[in-house]
Amino acid sequence: MTERNCSGKQMSLQQAIKKYVTDGCSITFGGFIGRDCVAAVHEIIRQGVKDLTVIDDSKTDMMDLLVGAGAVKRWEGAYLGYGAIGLAPNIRRSIEKGIPSKIEVEDWSNAGISMRFLAGSLNVPFMATRSMLGTDIPKYNERIKVMHDPYEGEPIALVPAAHPDVAIIHVQRADAMGNAQVWGFTGNDENKARAAKHTIITCEEIVTTDEIRHQGNLTLIPFYCVDAVVQVPYGCHPQSCYGYYAYDVLFCGDYHEAAKDREKFLKWLDHYVLSSQNHLDYCAKVGWDRLHKLMGMERHFNRIPG
Amino acid sequence: MSEIKYTASELMAITTAKEFKDWEVAFVGIGIPLVAGITAKRFHAPNLNIVYESGCIGPQKYRVDFNVGDSSAADGALCLTSEWRVFSDMQAGYYDVGVLGAAQIDKFGNLNTTAIFGGQGYCSPKVRLPGSGGGNDIGSNIGRVVVMLRLEPLRFVEKVDYLTTPGFLDGSPDARKKAGLLGSGPAAVVTDKALFRFDSITHEMYLDTIYPGVSVEEIKSLVGWDLKVAADLKKASDPTAEELAAVRAADPANLIMGGAAARNSLSGLDEYIDVTIKNSGK
Repeated sequence: MTERNCSGKQMSLQQAIKKYVTDGCSITFGGFIGRDCVAAVHEIIRQGVKDLTVIDDSKTDMMDLLVGAGAVKRWEGAYLGYGAIGLAPNIRRSIEKGIPSKIEVEDWSNAGISMRFLAGSLNVPFMATRSMLGTDIPKYNERIKVMHDPYEGEPIALVPAAHPDVAIIHVQRADAMGNAQVWGFTGNDENKARAAKHTIITCEEIVTTDEIRHQGNLTLIPFYCVDAVVQVPYGCHPQSCYGYYAYDVLFCGDYHEAAKDREKFLKWLDHYVLSSQNHLDYCAKVGWDRLHKLMGMERHFNRIPG
Repeated sequence: MSEIKYTASELMAITTAKEFKDWEVAFVGIGIPLVAGITAKRFHAPNLNIVYESGCIGPQKYRVDFNVGDSSAADGALCLTSEWRVFSDMQAGYYDVGVLGAAQIDKFGNLNTTAIFGGQGYCSPKVRLPGSGGGNDIGSNIGRVVVMLRLEPLRFVEKVDYLTTPGFLDGSPDARKKAGLLGSGPAAVVTDKALFRFDSITHEMYLDTIYPGVSVEEIKSLVGWDLKVAADLKKASDPTAEELAAVRAADPANLIMGGAAARNSLSGLDEYIDVTIKNSGK
C-alpha cells in the first residue's frame, strides 16, 4: 500500500477517470443527493465508459445521466428518483422500455446498502440489519439472507460486504496526499472510500497539509484510502455543496423536463456534456454569474469557518 | 370573514404537521413531508427535531429542501454525521416518528414505492418508481409512521404490487414481531380527502376524519376494499389563516407543492433566491 502513502496524487479529472474507471468496473459515488460528484460523471460519459455496475444508496441526476448515456449495465441500490421534482426519466425509459439499454436492478433499502458499505469498510463478509424483513425486497433479491440470530433466535437480515472497484467522492477540500475534509452531512462516504479498491477524491479546493492538520477531526477520509486528488470547483452543480453553493432547483427542473423526451435529453447531453471539453466548459455554459449567485445564496446560510 | 382558499397539498401538509408533537425526533422523507416538518416547527412544535437520512440531525428549518441531502437540510444542524449512523440510531430506537410518501398502499398499511407492475411484473414494470430509499427502514424500525399520499384511483389497493415498506404485513396480530420488525407500524394515512387510521386489533385501515366538502361515498369509491368507517367519524375544519401562512412560508416559492408550474412561473434564479432568503427568518 505504500504507493498510496505519497503526496503526488494530484491529477486532472480526465487522467483520474481514464486511470481508474474502466469498462465493466463496479463503482460507487459519494454524497447523498447533495455533494454529488456530477463533474466526474460528466467525464465518465465523455470518455465513453461502458457496462458499469453502480453500487450506491440514493442518486438523482448522476444515475439518470449515466443510464441515459448508456454507461450502466447494473444498479445495486436503494433510490433512483428525482427528489421533489419527480421520477427519473432515463431510469424509467431504461427499466420499462429498454431505451437505450435495459439495466439490471437489484433493490436494497438505504440502511441495507449502508450496511454493505460498512461491512466492506470493516473487511468482514457481511453485516446484520433489522431492515427489509417481511417485505418483497428479500423476495426479489436473493443476496439478502434472512436468518435466525444464533444467540437469541430472532429473525435478522444479512447483507454481503460491498467492495466496488472505484469510489469517487467529492469533498470541500483536500490536500495533495488525499486527506479529504468534509463539512455538512457525510452520507456513507467514509465507508465507501474504505470499501473500494481505489478512491478518487474530487474537491472544491486543494489546501496544504498544514491546513489539514489545523482541523484534523474534519478529515473524513485519510490519505491511505485515496489514489487520486482532483480539484473540480463547482463539481456538484446542479446539486448543492455545503458551505460552497446551493442547489440549483431551476436548472434541475429544466433538465427533468428535457429528459422526459429521449431526443431532447440527447440534445441536452450533447450541449452540456459531450461538446464540453471539460468541466470549465460546462461551467461557462451554465454561466459563471449563475454559479456565483448560488454560492452567495449558500453562504447566506452556511459559511465554513476560515 | 371571507372564505380562506387553500390547496389539497396545503391541507395535507397541515394535517401531517399536526401528527408531530413538540420535542419529538422525526425522520422525514422527500417531498411534502419536508414541508410538513418545517410547518410544525414554525407552528406548534418549535422543539421538534428533524433527522434526514443523509446524516443531518436537528437542523434549523430556514428554507425548503428539495432532497434530503441538500445543503439546506444541514442549515444550523445540531449534529452532522453519516447515513449509516442515523439509520443505526433509528434501529436503536431513538426516533419517535417517520413520515413517508408512497405510490400504493394496502389495507394493512404496506407501501409500494418500487414498481407498478401493470401485469408486466417486477423486471419490466409499467412504471418503475424510485425504490425504497430509506422508506423501508423507517417502516421497519421507527416508533410510529405517518403516510402521505393522494387518494386517487388504484392507489388504495387490496394488495400492493411490490411490498417495499412494511405496515402490518398480513395484518395478523404478531405479524411485525414475527418478521423481526421493531416499531409500532403506521399510525395515520394523510390524503387530500381524508385521514385514515388503523384498528388496534385487526390492523385494518379505517376512515377516521373526512375533509370539508368530501363525502364518505366518494372516499369509499376510491378505496379498493370494503372500507370500514369509524363509528365517531370526525369532520375536519378548514385550516386557519395562521396554519396556511406557516405552510406557505415553509415553501415560499411553492416549488415543492406547485411543481413544474411553480418553477415556470418564477422569472428566474434571482427571484427564487430573493423569495427564499426573504422567508427564511435568517
